[in-house]
Amino acid sequence: MEREIRMPKLRPEMKKGMLAAWLKEEGEAFEAGEALFEIEADKVVGQVEAERAGRLKKLVVEEGDEVEPGAVIALVEE
Amino acid sequence: MIYIETGSEDIFYNLSAEHYFAAQKKLGDTAFLIWRTTPTLVVGKYQNTLEEIRQDYADRHGIQVARRLSGGGTVYADRGGWMFTFIQPDDTAEISFRQYTQPIVDALRALGVPAGFNGRNDLMIEGRKFSGNAQYKLAGSTVHHGTLMFDVDIEQMVAATTVADEKIISKSIHSVRERVTNIADHLKTPMDAEAFKQHLIRFVMGENGARYEPDEADRAEISRFAREKLATWDWRYGKNPKFSITRANRFPGGRIEFRLEVKDGLIAGAAVSGDFFAGEKADGLAAALTGCRYDRRAVRDRLAERGFDGVVYGITIDDMAATIAD
Repeated sequence: MEREIRMPKLRPEMKKGMLAAWLKEEGEAFEAGEALFEIEADKVVGQVEAERAGRLKKLVVEEGDEVEPGAVIALVEE
Repeated sequence: MIYIETGSEDIFYNLSAEHYFAAQKKLGDTAFLIWRTTPTLVVGKYQNTLEEIRQDYADRHGIQVARRLSGGGTVYADRGGWMFTFIQPDDTAEISFRQYTQPIVDALRALGVPAGFNGRNDLMIEGRKFSGNAQYKLAGSTVHHGTLMFDVDIEQMVAATTVADEKIISKSIHSVRERVTNIADHLKTPMDAEAFKQHLIRFVMGENGARYEPDEADRAEISRFAREKLATWDWRYGKNPKFSITRANRFPGGRIEFRLEVKDGLIAGAAVSGDFFAGEKADGLAAALTGCRYDRRAVRDRLAERGFDGVVYGITIDDMAATIAD
């Protein structure tokens, strides 16, 4: 099943976050709990882990792109 | 809360200690550290080092360059300032800066210093900033750290972070310049840096706060990560977003301009133009630069090795290297 990954909100007042680094490549499989990407917003760097196992199907945003919370950043196959 | 004394003024060791107590050895309670460093420029995790600092100035004045694991912009620190760190293990709470900065403000007020916050939660004294703060979350822990300008060399701070407009363009976090001040200038009763540190520890920890002394195994592991990761060229300079740069200069032999694409600290593409006089061999300049580290000495060595010394009339390879990188 295809699912969208969205930019999380690090804090309630967060307006935008930068997709700082992809820790997995397009096409790569991952386990639940593995770190998928890192974001930076308002001087905070946070790693985001996969909730379930899957495969990164498509990266929608590039490293360095700034997007609003809730924006689709990748498609995964579960 | 547990106080940890790192006993070090080495930036890499201290940043490594934060990482160690956040990700490897969790003490089960909030850890508090106060430490300082020899003169250092500390860039944010996702900054482009070359865009944020003056490498030539740093080299001339013995200022180290380090990259931390938290976000935000570049700070300058020296032995006239303190760094404070809170490490909150297994933190699931929403990210709050105030939780960690309020005790610092209260500790200053206890000394009669009129410290407070501005609208962006920056720590201010009479409209000027004296502390830069940032966080990272790793392995379930939150690390909050901040600078405290006590008696910092502000002139050197400004000079080392004033980067000439060199048209570097990258998608990265850019530093914000603000008016700054030293805490020592606002004390009601003069106090030296060490006494100020002891006041902070007492204020934050209370009289009977617990302490943890890193043992030999802790220190070995902290040193290892400092050496194998944080102090490496790759972490400090190589971990940069892609950027384009145009740099030019005029020499007795004419004007020379380099347009470069730099990725992960290496020159990924180059173009050379200008009104200089040179033989056919100069056509190979761009190709020779490709793949070379974006660093003055590396460029000079590469050009020497490929036989470009004396190829361009009136422009030496040292001139070219200095034009390309600081």
